Amino acid sequence: MEADGAVAAPLLSLVGIGKSFPGVQALRAVSFDIRPGEVHALLGENGAGKSTLIKIISGVHAADAGSLLLDGHPIRLVGPQAARAAGIATIYQELLLFPELTVAENVFMGHAPRRRGRRLDWKAMRSATEALLESLDITDLDPSQVVGALSVGNRQRVEILRALSQDARLLIMDEPTAALTGHDVERLFAIVRRLRARGVAVVYISHRLEEVFALADRVTVLRDGQHVATRSVAETDRAGLIQMMVGRQIDSLFPKVTAPRGRPVLELSDLARPPATNGVSFAVHEGEIVGLAGLVGSGRSELAQAIFGITPATAGTMRVAGRAARVRSVADARRLGIAYVPEDRATQGLVRPMTVRENASLAVLGTLARLGFIDREAEAKLAADVVARFGVRTAGIEQIAGRLSGGNQQKIVLGKWLAAQPKVLILDEPTRGIDVGAKAEIHRLMSNLAGRGLAVLMISSELPEVLGMSDRVLVMRQGRIVGEFAGTAATQERVGAAMMGGG
Amino acid sequence: MTAWPLKLPAHEAVLAAILVLALALLAVLSDRFFTLDNLLNQGLLMTEVGLIAMPMTFVIITGGIDLSVGSALGMCAILLGYSWHNWGFPLPLAIGFALAAGAAGGFVNGWVITRLGVPPLIMTIATLALYRGLAEGISQAHSVRNYPPWFAALGQGTLFGVPAQLWVLVVAIVLFGVVLARTTFGRALRAIGHSETAARFSGLPVDRIKLAVYTASGFMAGLAAWIFVSRVGTTRSDMGMGVELDVIAAVVLGGTSIFGGTGTIVGTVLGLALIQLLKDGLSLTGVKGDATIVVIGTVLILSILVSNFAERRRESGRMPPAPAPRPTTEKGRNEP
Repeated sequence: MEADGAVAAPLLSLVGIGKSFPGVQALRAVSFDIRPGEVHALLGENGAGKSTLIKIISGVHAADAGSLLLDGHPIRLVGPQAARAAGIATIYQELLLFPELTVAENVFMGHAPRRRGRRLDWKAMRSATEALLESLDITDLDPSQVVGALSVGNRQRVEILRALSQDARLLIMDEPTAALTGHDVERLFAIVRRLRARGVAVVYISHRLEEVFALADRVTVLRDGQHVATRSVAETDRAGLIQMMVGRQIDSLFPKVTAPRGRPVLELSDLARPPATNGVSFAVHEGEIVGLAGLVGSGRSELAQAIFGITPATAGTMRVAGRAARVRSVADARRLGIAYVPEDRATQGLVRPMTVRENASLAVLGTLARLGFIDREAEAKLAADVVARFGVRTAGIEQIAGRLSGGNQQKIVLGKWLAAQPKVLILDEPTRGIDVGAKAEIHRLMSNLAGRGLAVLMISSELPEVLGMSDRVLVMRQGRIVGEFAGTAATQERVGAAMMGGG
Repeated sequence: MTAWPLKLPAHEAVLAAILVLALALLAVLSDRFFTLDNLLNQGLLMTEVGLIAMPMTFVIITGGIDLSVGSALGMCAILLGYSWHNWGFPLPLAIGFALAAGAAGGFVNGWVITRLGVPPLIMTIATLALYRGLAEGISQAHSVRNYPPWFAALGQGTLFGVPAQLWVLVVAIVLFGVVLARTTFGRALRAIGHSETAARFSGLPVDRIKLAVYTASGFMAGLAAWIFVSRVGTTRSDMGMGVELDVIAAVVLGGTSIFGGTGTIVGTVLGLALIQLLKDGLSLTGVKGDATIVVIGTVLILSILVSNFAERRRESGRMPPAPAPRPTTEKGRNEP
């Protein structure tokens, strides 16, 4: 639509939106337009105010200052219902569907077509769902399928149908691709483009800049609750966007420095725990970062958890620092100097309702205690060290860990395991869902750790990260290592092909 | 060391205020209430429930529940009486046997819950029936009496002018309180209750800790049985019937979250005291038994409402600028 030269009248205008929570100014004088038929990317680091902003647009929060204009007329959105009635629908990252109900029932939950006498009109519901599916060219979803049996990508499409069934003119999507794999991402993009062609405005939040360039027409960047810029995507580039988001230049996203490779620290031979891990052999050396690539479901996390003793291996052998090692529990792994920063920060990495102090010490409580009594001074010191060493942005060590941003939570998890002074550090998707600035910090940290002789095994689904950070890349498929690429031999094409199982 | 134990959390402060209010009210309403004799007597009456409430606080903090404690008390009482009277055990051995049986009963609960993955609610409902059934089967509705005089010392005697069993309760309170507040074990209990997965991923011996907690629960039921039999001088198979409700009410009234993760021994003690004083005070002022239960239920609901309200006020006061991108579901995850 930019190409036409004619700029459509804004669908929704934000004028000087401000919002403060006790003690924090979350948004300050944010103004920009959203036009019909555009994909408008919303970028910013975690804590920049994106979430607050979409909550104001979707009626969850009321703004303290400024106004919203819909088609040029001021509106007040009191509650999500009001926003929905105004044609504004939001798809959150955690999908809010009823897994026991069918596609059609989910789509029309709350506004089902009814016959006289208030009985549900099942036939109309089904045919309306079919019409929606057809309008989006979706042929592989049946209105009578139970949602719980669908893949994440399909569930997300049900949410989109749900929004369209309420005649949404503005669709807000909060990190829709965070849980999707390559193929589903493509299908989502196709749907978004179709909606755009139909004149629906889409506000698209993502941490993946590639997606912004692939999909968006315009982009708005927020930083510290303030509007930095709204630009046409064609007029910007990656470096420029990152600079706007973090307010400074990030010289290198992947600052891996090569460290001298030492003796092998972790050696696996035919390690197995069927069905996910089927005989894996490799070694990780001192000072080395080994990247473990593979598709979702290739068995990477399962392998890590077998090494770490969550689900101990049933066959094969393992050597740590040259000595034969048996790991039957996490306590064994910790004793041997193996640390694991899990994929799911929220449920595996942190006890979120507990404080920063209590989380930082959780993996090493035994060493902080005498006769079972926790040395509270030593504990506070440990937590303060973690906060200082990793630059955790927190109100203090008594802050509830779950209230920190994703990047800061990840630093706590890292700190908690580095406190155990491991020899081997396994990182499972260390930067997933983390904003660009924190990501660079974590990469720099990994590089430093390897430089000091730690053996690092990094699982990542982001190929640029794997290629940028690793000295060596291993590729996993169906619970086996199917490829190994060192140095310059590790290219996007070769690693990608090995992941997919192609030649 | 900070002065943290002196700073009462919101719920405990509310409870303490209600307790003082109730004391004052009852003292005004009845001149027999606020006497040393009566207060000590009330303490004596709450000892058995109190002893069981200590490990129950731990169990509930881990996110579990133990409904079998009343039946375990009955079973231990019967085993004490029968092993002495009918099977010819010397009385001290019979006491030890009853305590061991309690611990074994708790261990069975814990073993099935941790090894076989049966939900605590189901497992302990099953043993609630099982242990009571054993008590009835062994006793065949016969009671055991005529214990030697020395046996009554624990349940009816005094030490420094205070009923003997109150000393046992005080020791238990201090022990469990210190373990919960100061030790790695106590910290692990809270971590498990908030997030068992994260506790496992942090290398905590989750199963062993739970096993220990349920075993302690059974053992304390055995100890309560000993004190109960000593206090009333007779053994019957219906002893401890319904005790689990009093215990759980006291723990929950004391602010321990039924969803796990939070709770204190101070809170449980306040909950126990409040329930016992209400029971006594109301009966002294002539309120009938049924009405007493109604009043206790109402107090339970009110105290939880008030502290929930206080908690929400505090939370909203500290609300961050929405650091997490989806706070809508964040709550659901922490509080299953």
